[in-house]
Amino acid sequence: MEVSHSVKERTIAENSLVILLQGLHGHVTTVDLRDESTATGRVTNVDAFMNMRLAEVTFTDRRGAVSRLDELFVTGRNVRYVHIPDEVDIRATIERQLQAIHRVRYFGGRDKGRKEFPRAKHK
Amino acid sequence: GGAMSFLKRFPPPAEGVRHQQPDTEAVLAGRTLGAGTLYIAESRLSWLENSGVGFSLDYPTISLHAVSRDLNAYPWEHLYVMVNAKFEEEETKEGPMAEGEEEEDSDDDVEPIAEFRFVPSDKSALEAMFSAMCECQALHPDPDDEDSDNDYEGEEYDVEAHELEQGDIPTFYTYEEGLSHLTAEGQATLERLEGMLAQSVSSQYNMAGVRTEDSIREFEDGMEVDIAPVVAGQFEDAEVDH
Repeated sequence: MEVSHSVKERTIAENSLVILLQGLHGHVTTVDLRDESTATGRVTNVDAFMNMRLAEVTFTDRRGAVSRLDELFVTGRNVRYVHIPDEVDIRATIERQLQAIHRVRYFGGRDKGRKEFPRAKHK
Repeated sequence: GGAMSFLKRFPPPAEGVRHQQPDTEAVLAGRTLGAGTLYIAESRLSWLENSGVGFSLDYPTISLHAVSRDLNAYPWEHLYVMVNAKFEEEETKEGPMAEGEEEEDSDDDVEPIAEFRFVPSDKSALEAMFSAMCECQALHPDPDDEDSDNDYEGEEYDVEAHELEQGDIPTFYTYEEGLSHLTAEGQATLERLEGMLAQSVSSQYNMAGVRTEDSIREFEDGMEVDIAPVVAGQFEDAEVDH
């Protein structure tokens, strides 16, 4: 549920379904890759470009050979399909990620605009 | 064996080297290329054999990389790198290659795949190597990304500042960014519309192209604006007072 430190990446995420994938942190997920291989592992990071980082991966290469990989980074371009785990509530995940982005955006108490938290101290 | 044809002599990268791992064996499709140093630099991934020849890989061609500690799959812990490119190998003087013969797959006519393994003598370095590669890969987002909504050329889009100014109107481009995407014709249209909007009562927004209900109503009245005077230049043959 981490939110990127980059304004640009938050904006991209907010406007695409990458935001759903970012909500999969910690979930064991299967990713089908462009070359027909598949990787099943725990999602540790997804950035705005859909680059995905997985841990404790069972990797099946395009010929069917199975191996374990401690950590895997696959570029967004080579992700063909991400299997959303059954236990994930898609809508709730998206809403939660949007809220996380908005909390980051408005944290610190600007003078105008929405505020999720009351101002902690006076200036 | 003899030299692989894609190996060249070049100086090690000097800038942006996030990680450097000496005493690292490079293996391509099951054949060792020798021992050398792996340079994980921001511009490209390079490996140089101790003799001074080596090769580089551009990050956009790298499909994935991984840490493999599965000794059943491969007998040494290593950094696995899959590349979307073909690498010529040694001429088969010694006969057909026994193992790891990926490049000649007929399925790979459409998409060439080469598999490299970088085996450091220091296994504990694999995490750092992996992380350095992740960082460098992130510096090279896919230029062919079909989703044009991700086109953020120009100044970084400050959503926070933008939303605070615009209130609840959903916006995407800042004014400056939107301008840069217009053709000359679009620019002319924009200027004309802006001239009209400047005259209108509903001046709470300053971003052209965003139509509120007020502006739509004005347009649909056959260009005769009841609320505000018509702007000169709107219709060349129209008589206007302002």
